[in-house]
Amino acid sequence: MPKQDSSNTKDNKLSSRRDFLRSAGNYTVASLSGAAMLLSDQKPAKANVTWEEHFQKNYRLMTDEEKQQAIERLETRYSEEYGKQVTVDGSPSMEGVLFGYALNIQKCIGCRRCVKACVAENNQSRGDEQQIEWIRVLRMEKGKFSETDRDQHGYPESFGVQVGGNAYKPAGVVLEGQHYYEPEQVPEKDAFYFPMQCMQCEKPPCVKVCPVRTTYRDPDGIVVIDYNWCIGCRMCIGACPYWARRFNWGEPNLPKEEMNPVTHYLGNRPRMKGVVEKCTFCVQRTRKGRWTACVEVCPVGARKFGNLLDPNSEIRKVLAKKKVFRLRADLNTYPKFFYYMD
Amino acid sequence: MTRYRNHQPLFGFCLLLFLFTRPVLGTENQADKECFESRDGMSQVKVRQINPELVNIKCSSTTGGVLWWGDPFAGTIPMGDMDIEADYSNEEAVVKPREPQLDRNKMLTICSMACHDGNYVPIPHTKNPRSLKMHLDTVPDAMNLKHGKGNIWCLDCHHLVDRTKLIDNFGYSISFNQPQKLCGKCHGQVYRAWRDGIHGKRIGMWDKGGKKRWWVCTECHNPHDVEQEERNSGFAQLRPEPAPNLPKGMVNADHERMHHGAHPDE
Repeated sequence: MPKQDSSNTKDNKLSSRRDFLRSAGNYTVASLSGAAMLLSDQKPAKANVTWEEHFQKNYRLMTDEEKQQAIERLETRYSEEYGKQVTVDGSPSMEGVLFGYALNIQKCIGCRRCVKACVAENNQSRGDEQQIEWIRVLRMEKGKFSETDRDQHGYPESFGVQVGGNAYKPAGVVLEGQHYYEPEQVPEKDAFYFPMQCMQCEKPPCVKVCPVRTTYRDPDGIVVIDYNWCIGCRMCIGACPYWARRFNWGEPNLPKEEMNPVTHYLGNRPRMKGVVEKCTFCVQRTRKGRWTACVEVCPVGARKFGNLLDPNSEIRKVLAKKKVFRLRADLNTYPKFFYYMD
Repeated sequence: MTRYRNHQPLFGFCLLLFLFTRPVLGTENQADKECFESRDGMSQVKVRQINPELVNIKCSSTTGGVLWWGDPFAGTIPMGDMDIEADYSNEEAVVKPREPQLDRNKMLTICSMACHDGNYVPIPHTKNPRSLKMHLDTVPDAMNLKHGKGNIWCLDCHHLVDRTKLIDNFGYSISFNQPQKLCGKCHGQVYRAWRDGIHGKRIGMWDKGGKKRWWVCTECHNPHDVEQEERNSGFAQLRPEPAPNLPKGMVNADHERMHHGAHPDE
């Protein structure tokens, strides 16, 4: 019995090994054919992604040589795809620079030129099917703060600090921000405008939640994304309190003739389906010393940008001389994007 | 039926003609198109190719405003000296000359040659305001000056003799290309803020020592109507760029025009 038992066991072992080999063989064939299918797929966006690009490391963990190889791969692929010489820059942070941004909400006229300039610069998807804009401009109602609201009818126990409104009456502003305003002419008399984009937080909630650490904060203060490493889980979109991040639900639509060929690996290089993107302070420009596209286009000069570590920079002068606030400072995200008034 | 059948080739031809002649979305050729940088009509630029892959500007197809500069320094001249030494002194500063914009219909050239050459038209002896008798058509906002709340008039800013120049408090002429020297006479605080870079606009390189194109006062403000009525913003109203697309399935944006909660007036 024990003999039989052992032979049985042996047979079992043999059969299981055979099964294993058979199934392993099947898997190999299947995976090879899968890879072959991947490589022979006729869709250009998929077919052109090389094997190496599929299996490259997280950008932060790459050696300089690997980074250079990744950049060259992309340059070749993009140049072929868009029919022009595309450059992909990999410039790291500049020494002694911390970028800061200030926006004068008293001056902003809500013309949305910054939104469109950003799209022209940063290769976002456009068109009816999938439109991605990194800047949103909210039209806000001007409040009505009357004397009676402020003084006579505060909270019943008269505690708490508030301006306008009370426990029984809402404050002056009761209309929430409007995204889709479209008057003939701006600025309108009874409105002010509030542009929002990525605040490049010092403690970014999006970086905290990213499960694959593809989004991180560079030493010059810019929160960047390695699109190749992004798995599209959209945790960062949920975590961002400033609604700054956008997701490519479909294949981005970027017409060849509108594509900006001057790109950065962590910035405006063409994105793919299933990745998150957001404002990078035009990293491809600012790390070369050029102002961002939105700063340059603003027709009223409401946008200021510079090095926070340079005491003579215009951003530092704004912080020193103007009335400045940060959006949702209570969240302790320490944005590097400031709003100010004259 | 026969009549309709005969029309079918014609209809097909028209359809083909329509398909071939209509501009394909997003591929319209912008070459030679004229756009405005800041004030519509007073800061015009033509689109041109710098090299096969780079245009000098990209324009908005809806409003005609410049959205993007391929070369921020195209068509600029050195700004000239500032009145005090400061951070900007070591930087290359350029401005876009205003004279070509003002001389678009050859007004400056013809006026200064034909009549205002310093001899032909009698030079006014005083700067006291008087009503204009001529040129009401060429200077449409002259009779409706909204600047200085009635305390200034033409010859406080324009040169008495040389109509192609502005004038400072001491009677020296100022070029139209450097209006900041004139405006700064009264608006000192704004002038200082502009010099520091916290008022107005500059494009080009943000870094210290980098080349910058400074925008001068009259590129953004209309000197004959700086107040712009009640809005008091200093800017003429503009047509905004189109709103973002509505989310799929949403037919209008009425929801965001609703007042939530009781209104203070109710």
